[in-house]
Amino acid sequence: MIPSPAFTACPGCDLLLQKVEVPAGKKTYCPRCQTPLYQQKTNSVTKVLAITICGLLAYTPAIFAPLLTLDTMGMSQSGSIFDAFLNFYHHQYYFVAVMVFLTSIFFPLLKLSLLFSVALQIKLRIYTPTLPYLLRMAHHFDEWSMPEIYLIAILVTIIKISRQASIHYDLGFFCFLFLVLTTIASAAALDSRTFWRDIEKMKSLPLENLSHGQ
Amino acid sequence: MANKSASRDTAMAAGLMRCHDCGKLVRADNAPQDALLACPRCDASIHYRKFDAIPRSWALIITAAILLFPANLLPIMRVDFLGSQKYSTIMDGILYFFHSGEYGIGLIIFIASILVPLFKIIGMTLILLSIRFKWKTWLRHKAVMFRFIQFVGRWSMLDIFIIALMSSLVDFGTFTSTQAGPAATYLTAVVICSMFAAITFDSRLLWDA
Repeated sequence: MIPSPAFTACPGCDLLLQKVEVPAGKKTYCPRCQTPLYQQKTNSVTKVLAITICGLLAYTPAIFAPLLTLDTMGMSQSGSIFDAFLNFYHHQYYFVAVMVFLTSIFFPLLKLSLLFSVALQIKLRIYTPTLPYLLRMAHHFDEWSMPEIYLIAILVTIIKISRQASIHYDLGFFCFLFLVLTTIASAAALDSRTFWRDIEKMKSLPLENLSHGQ
Repeated sequence: MANKSASRDTAMAAGLMRCHDCGKLVRADNAPQDALLACPRCDASIHYRKFDAIPRSWALIITAAILLFPANLLPIMRVDFLGSQKYSTIMDGILYFFHSGEYGIGLIIFIASILVPLFKIIGMTLILLSIRFKWKTWLRHKAVMFRFIQFVGRWSMLDIFIIALMSSLVDFGTFTSTQAGPAATYLTAVVICSMFAAITFDSRLLWDA
């Protein structure tokens, strides 16, 4: 199997296309089906590394710290994202509980950690045989991580209960907001083509392979 | 390959496979259609088109369409208020918002929990039928529709998250509390099935016909 570096194929319709140099910030689209093909991003690896570190720092308070406190008729109640998952679990909605756990708690963490470790390894030029798998997993689990949908759900909930109770915003709310921002920013900064090209370069350099003890 | 003449300018016609995971173009001239090959860069299995894409998508879309009925007809939420229990379906919740004047919120939930699943199921059925009967018109629009389906699919989880938050926050013992209803399970299943239907489908098949 001989790779062909001069060509690329549209992921949406398989049209064979010649690779072109794209100026930074410009986007290319498939001429046949309009699928976005490529957008060059500057300093992608460093940016992703910085953003994922920020995201990982905000993660624990975002999930476990209380989001909101409700006060009504002398009673007060607060809850975190983790409590919301536990609630489904305690009411025997196991299937929904598992899905809520995965999409709002587990996959956001997995995605940040995978992108962090991939960016770190590329930055430090440490090639391990698992590196391509980590990036592939990050791509596959991408659409199952849904913190931004959860944020909209939080906003809808606030509007829904603001009539019946007074609401205080707690630490968890702001950390979660920040977590969503870092998730969106990491997706915007990620340039998969650069990541894969760097991985390929690191893989083919024998010297790099020596550095992890072969 | 049988349809070489129909799509002469594709990577498949040139004997090239595009890796789904890393986008690398791999030459596979002599490999048979169903050979198990691995991408030299990322080690993902590569193939011209996803295996059994059409039957898998059909199965998942039909499952999602069946599950849509219990998801919409059964109650999704139970509100206890001073000892009285009130069950409400997805549509009841939306109507509640419209009655209380919160049109924006009502519209968001209507789009996320009712329009999006319906649109996905109808859209995927249309795409699968057009491959089955080789309808070659509106191909670009169908391609755009498929990308839109891929993009909006996750947003149906919105209602589930709202109920998760409501039931953990609005819990004042016997005074008032909110709990999920059986439709929550079915709505989650609809989201999973329709997301997997889009994942297993291969949009390149649209252009092969």
